[in-house]
Amino acid sequence: MPKRRLDPLPAAAFQILLALADGELHGYAIMRQVEQQTNGRMRLGPGTLYSSIQAMLQDGLIEEVGRDDQSESGRERRRIYRWTTSGRKLARSEADRLADLLRVARAKRILRGDYV
Amino acid sequence: MSEKIYACLLKLFPSRFRREYQREALQLFRDRLRDERGIARRLRLCVDLVTDLIIGLPLAYQNSFSAGSEPSLAPNGPGALPFQVLHNDPLRPGAILLGTVLAFSAILTFSWVMGRDIGERLTPPNQLTSPIERVMQRLNQPQQLDTSTQTPAQAKASGTANVSSQTQANPQAHSRPPQESVRAQEPVPAGAPVAAPAQRLAISPASSRSSETASGSRLLSTGADAIALRFAAGKSAASQPSRNGAVISVAPASDAFAPRAPTTAHYAAAAIAQTNPANAMPMSQPNVENATQAMVRLMRAHQVVMFGETHGNQQEYEWLCSLVKDPVFASQVDDIVVEFGNSLYQKTVDRYIAGGDVPQEQIEKAWRNVIGAVGPVSPVYGWFYKAVRDSNLQRPGGHKIRIVLGDPYGDWEKIHNAEDLGPYLAHRDEWYAQVVKDAVLAPHHRALLVMGAGHFLRRSGPGLVERAIRAAGVQPYLVVFGTNAVGAYADLDHRFDAWKAPAIVTLQGNWVGELPANPVLTGGVVAPNAQKMEDVADAMLYVGSRDTLTQVNVPPSGLLDTAYGKEVERRLQIQTGRTMEFTQPLEEPQFHRPLQQVSSNGVHLTPPNPPRSIHDQLPPRPPSQ
Repeated sequence: MPKRRLDPLPAAAFQILLALADGELHGYAIMRQVEQQTNGRMRLGPGTLYSSIQAMLQDGLIEEVGRDDQSESGRERRRIYRWTTSGRKLARSEADRLADLLRVARAKRILRGDYV
Repeated sequence: MSEKIYACLLKLFPSRFRREYQREALQLFRDRLRDERGIARRLRLCVDLVTDLIIGLPLAYQNSFSAGSEPSLAPNGPGALPFQVLHNDPLRPGAILLGTVLAFSAILTFSWVMGRDIGERLTPPNQLTSPIERVMQRLNQPQQLDTSTQTPAQAKASGTANVSSQTQANPQAHSRPPQESVRAQEPVPAGAPVAAPAQRLAISPASSRSSETASGSRLLSTGADAIALRFAAGKSAASQPSRNGAVISVAPASDAFAPRAPTTAHYAAAAIAQTNPANAMPMSQPNVENATQAMVRLMRAHQVVMFGETHGNQQEYEWLCSLVKDPVFASQVDDIVVEFGNSLYQKTVDRYIAGGDVPQEQIEKAWRNVIGAVGPVSPVYGWFYKAVRDSNLQRPGGHKIRIVLGDPYGDWEKIHNAEDLGPYLAHRDEWYAQVVKDAVLAPHHRALLVMGAGHFLRRSGPGLVERAIRAAGVQPYLVVFGTNAVGAYADLDHRFDAWKAPAIVTLQGNWVGELPANPVLTGGVVAPNAQKMEDVADAMLYVGSRDTLTQVNVPPSGLLDTAYGKEVERRLQIQTGRTMEFTQPLEEPQFHRPLQQVSSNGVHLTPPNPPRSIHDQLPPRPPSQ
């Protein structure tokens, strides 16, 4: 089995997968979604965003589903992405891994609180 | 940041990325520009983009290269040779141009780096060197004898066991009571007994002078009255040469380098060594280089170059004066540390060489009041100070050479007897080394050190000064004064005749390095021993055939019935218990035939005992004058 390029999954790629969990998004929307879901801690720039998208496309984690003709400017047709089954599985796997880590951290009393 | 700027930055990304995502990236940039207004947000956008450039570029290139490792296209199906398909775009002219410029820049940089002398930059300011630099330093370091690596068998074979160096290297030896005898320095007729009784100071009132011997002792050249002193003292084995032919040596008499009478056996042994076919080895020709050019080259390659001079030699100091006026040399040398300068007068000298208005009688104290000088001090040292001053004045606004005075700070006005003089005499090499460490090594200056050759010669390893420099992590280069006298006094080597003086020749791996050190260094006055020129130094300065060399003296008119003459007589009384007649000519041959150096009456007077204070430490340094 060929090794994936995104192994281990970078934080940016994981955030993109999480952003696409809500549905199909174009690049700028992904960026905004990531910013929102990280409370502004992560703002993906164009280089990072599209390099990650490029790698995820090559690994089959996401796919392009077409162009958005209803862009805000009305001048540009944006590419729309969504996650694939592989991407969803990988996101779940990564979330499980992080959840395990959190459980360990809580068991070690590194984290407090009863959420996560 | 405008869209145009960002579009330019995007050109840093690989072509595959730009082909697929440039439009998207620009669109995203425009979206953010539209949505993020205000100074703070725009500033944050700029920071984000710069950060994105740093993070995204490697990722984009990683993707680009990864694309190249995609399964290869095999149009002929299974079994056909696989070919990796790279980008199908031809290289753009800009990329070709950029590549060409970078390639040429790399070649030029590499050539420049390889063309530079590595020693020049090997000692960073903090003296910490990388392993590679240390290896390069070792490779650049000239080969030389080193007591630390010399086996006892080698030392025995070379016959270089030298009590002077041993006592310097072994502090315990300092506490040993002086048991060595004191011997006269003047050559004796062949066959005559050499060693003098212990604890005696021999004074030969001969109307002759001699050269600096390989042991560092100065054979006198005061003209009318040659005086050689050797205090037998275990406190310090450092030789104490003086100005203008006089010398005070503080060294055990068992010094293997103590000059001995050139006996027939000496000359026979040297002749056999030179003529025995079994000893004959193919010797390459030396590289005879213009002395000034060679010194410039050496100064470029070494932070410290040591020059072992012969006192008072006219040709040598004419060359030194021309050297300091060479603009290339002057621009690359920070300090010249001289033996012929009493540290007490550093401020005066600083003012003088900077062009200040300093009266002659004040500045000449610097070299006339040197502690080790016995008798009148040769005027050549005044020439040198003036040459440095002129050189600095000729280059207004340019790099200035500084003369650093390396002789102990004894004040002759406060020295009334031998006990007052003793501590300064005993620590001349140590003080010189301390001056080098403080004024040269600590501020990482580039320096030429000038001192009597006897202080610098490597007898059974580097001398005290060189050891101190090496201990600081600096590898000095040693040039010594030499002549074409290669055996007995009459034995001049005519291979030197083809050389254009002044010249400097390296001594490793050629016939000059194979020559016996003693006669070459002393104009044939001292007989050969086992050491060769290549053993004692790295290179030799040749300023002319032995018989053309002249020593410059203070003429009698400058001494008779003058304050300086009276002061010289007073000092001689302190140093030797005797006075002298001031009859030496202004110029005379540098090296006299040894047999002529025997005193006319053959009387060897019993000298005074060495002062007890020779074991004392140097007193605190007074303020500079």
